[in-house]
Amino acid sequence: MANEQAQTQTHGSGGGVQTTGHVWDGTLQEFNNPLPVWWTYGFYITILFALVYWFFYPSWPVGTSFLKGVNTVTYVNQDGQEESWHWNTRAKLLGEVQAAKAEQKPWFDKIASLPYDKIATDPELNSFIQSAGKALFADNCAACHQTGGAGKIGHYPNLADDNWIYGGTFDKIRETILGGRHGYMPPYAEALDKGQVDTLANYVLSLSGEPHDASKAAEGKSLFHSHAAACYYCHGDNAQGRTDIGSANLTDKVWVWADVPGGQDANAKLAAVRNLINAGLNRGVMPAWEGRLSEEQVKVLTVYVHELGGGK
Amino acid sequence: MAASTTAQAEQYDFDIIKKFTVMAIVWAVVGMFVGVYIASELAWPFLNFDSPYLSFGRFRPVHTGAVIFGFGGSALFATSYYVVQRTCQTRLWAPGLATFTFWGWQAIIVLAALSYVTGYSQGREYAEMEWPIDILIEIVWVSYLAVFIGTLMNRKQPHIYVANWFYLSFILATALLHTFNNLAVPVGLFTLKSYSLFSGPQDAMTQWWYGHNAVGFFLTAAFLGMMYYFVPKHAGRPVYSYRLSIVHFWALSFMYMWVGTHHLHWTALPDWASTLGATFSIMLLLPSWGGMINGIMTLSGAWDKLRTDPIMRFMIVALSFYGMSTFEGPLMSLKDVNALSHYTDWTVGHVHSGALGWVAMISFGSIYHMLPRLWNTQMYSTKLINAHFWLATIGVLLYITAMWISGISQGLMWRAFDEFGNLQYSFVESVAAMYPFYVMRAVGGMFFLAGMVLMAYNSYMTIRQGVRQAQAAGQPAAVAA
Repeated sequence: MANEQAQTQTHGSGGGVQTTGHVWDGTLQEFNNPLPVWWTYGFYITILFALVYWFFYPSWPVGTSFLKGVNTVTYVNQDGQEESWHWNTRAKLLGEVQAAKAEQKPWFDKIASLPYDKIATDPELNSFIQSAGKALFADNCAACHQTGGAGKIGHYPNLADDNWIYGGTFDKIRETILGGRHGYMPPYAEALDKGQVDTLANYVLSLSGEPHDASKAAEGKSLFHSHAAACYYCHGDNAQGRTDIGSANLTDKVWVWADVPGGQDANAKLAAVRNLINAGLNRGVMPAWEGRLSEEQVKVLTVYVHELGGGK
Repeated sequence: MAASTTAQAEQYDFDIIKKFTVMAIVWAVVGMFVGVYIASELAWPFLNFDSPYLSFGRFRPVHTGAVIFGFGGSALFATSYYVVQRTCQTRLWAPGLATFTFWGWQAIIVLAALSYVTGYSQGREYAEMEWPIDILIEIVWVSYLAVFIGTLMNRKQPHIYVANWFYLSFILATALLHTFNNLAVPVGLFTLKSYSLFSGPQDAMTQWWYGHNAVGFFLTAAFLGMMYYFVPKHAGRPVYSYRLSIVHFWALSFMYMWVGTHHLHWTALPDWASTLGATFSIMLLLPSWGGMINGIMTLSGAWDKLRTDPIMRFMIVALSFYGMSTFEGPLMSLKDVNALSHYTDWTVGHVHSGALGWVAMISFGSIYHMLPRLWNTQMYSTKLINAHFWLATIGVLLYITAMWISGISQGLMWRAFDEFGNLQYSFVESVAAMYPFYVMRAVGGMFFLAGMVLMAYNSYMTIRQGVRQAQAAGQPAAVAA
């Protein structure tokens, strides 16, 4: 029944549409309806759209060149002259980057001309630094130091606290950014025996008020200041570290390399410190940014990082 | 009914179709499971378990390979062998060769998946297989072409039915694309690695000429072939317009070959090539819609069946998603829209509205139509088909909505500048913002997979029922793989 109906029922064109007369697989047939008018005109419109697009943009290859299209892009060439070229993505990018840089130029000029303390106290400049510094930090620093400079214990120093391994003055931060850093501590696994390392670890924990064995810590203290271990040589007589060589302050409860806060119990905390003393440290490498960032960018980043952790 | 179907079973070579149909369902479950897993990895990265074998990078081609070539490919082999025999009223030419295409194709999917998991990939999207597998594909594919053309030539019908044009264009185009995209020089005879014959932009261009035409011919033309048989057959109505089918067939075949470069806007590719890709994509809109119109207009007049027949619903929803994603595609191919959409989840959403909404849905409808006819029985449960339909539809909608929001957010965040002309967001901030949408996408995938599991169960019960009925009737048991 459905088929009989199909034979006579037509669509769209108001009657008289027949099938093509072929039948496949018992029941399959085809009406011979004309193309829908809107479909046909729709197709023409897309062709027209293509022609217009080709008129404006580079399109068909011709010989060894191609149709350039009438759209142009403007940029500044190497001689400082404004130049227009046929539309192309490279010149467009160049032009947009140049325009954006020109817009920011007054800010960067002002930053270049002022000393750090003047920049940091100028509220208008500070707003700019917060914006530009955040973008520069996200692009260059956050991959290691994490968003907002939170760092990662055992891997990357926290920049948002007021603990500065290499010093937190403007000049020191700038020096760090430009030249990078390479933290190093020799391994003690062979120089000392297990018991000695254990006493040292207890002493280090005691300096921060972490759980420790008091008698071992006392032994560790004398070892710390002895020629055998010579810890004091880098970490200082008071164990407060030295910013000129980047040795850690062991008394401030800030942990950069040994994950003491992450230790589940006293044993784990002890193990974290012991492991560091045994293995030493040869991975505290930060690459140098000199040459990768402009002088003004380094200046912006310096002020930004300085403010992150309340610089010195 | 039973007598005529038995006659058909002798008249046509159904065994090979049964094998491919079963494997289509198996690969769909496997491929979609892996898809849900990697979607979950993006939302909950701990699922990597720090193992390279489980990592997103290796599982992703396992997913795409299993769903496109395993599920889609097996469904196409099955339906094309079914359609070409029935519309030519003849058995398959060279049935031995056809059986070889089955075992060869399944071996390819398994070998490809194993090689990806162990870290072998030639790094070409949707063509990650290394050269020895590529050679096997070439051999299987030429065998497929021979079987298909041989069967067409043996036809007992004067005219070649429209579905077969689409299937043939898909087989020919895929042979061409696979061959040129995989031209490479092996590093050595006993190594899986090879160097592409092309370099730089030419290499990228060849890859995307292949990549987009894999979408165009493998995932579109071929499934239009499926649509042109199963939609009119299932609705019991003639195809709406023969003329439209001719015009849109040639327009589609001609336009698709040009559009691959729209994947390479704003790259080292010459600008003129990217313009041509964009404009041919725009001109492809109406030729694509020709297939949608022909399908939907064929169904019109049978709308009442939509209330009772979930198979019909699969078909109409498939056609609707086809229309939607072929509108979205040309839009995204414009240079300025692409500047926003490229490299974002919008692309992922677009692909899945085509892959889940169109390709998978039309395959579900066609397989549900074919199963009872292949095993000479009824579907075990129409209710389960209906449940599958709703799970699949909700799944796709969740998936593409999540990806639209996350994709457009990514695009806008990456290009956002503040009042001072500095980037407003870092990349990692955009990643963090994606989290709720990655969860939503994974949930959408779970819905779709759940529907697929229902289909697998329903199909298994249907086949078991068919085999038992055949045994009870004293006929030799049909081969149920």
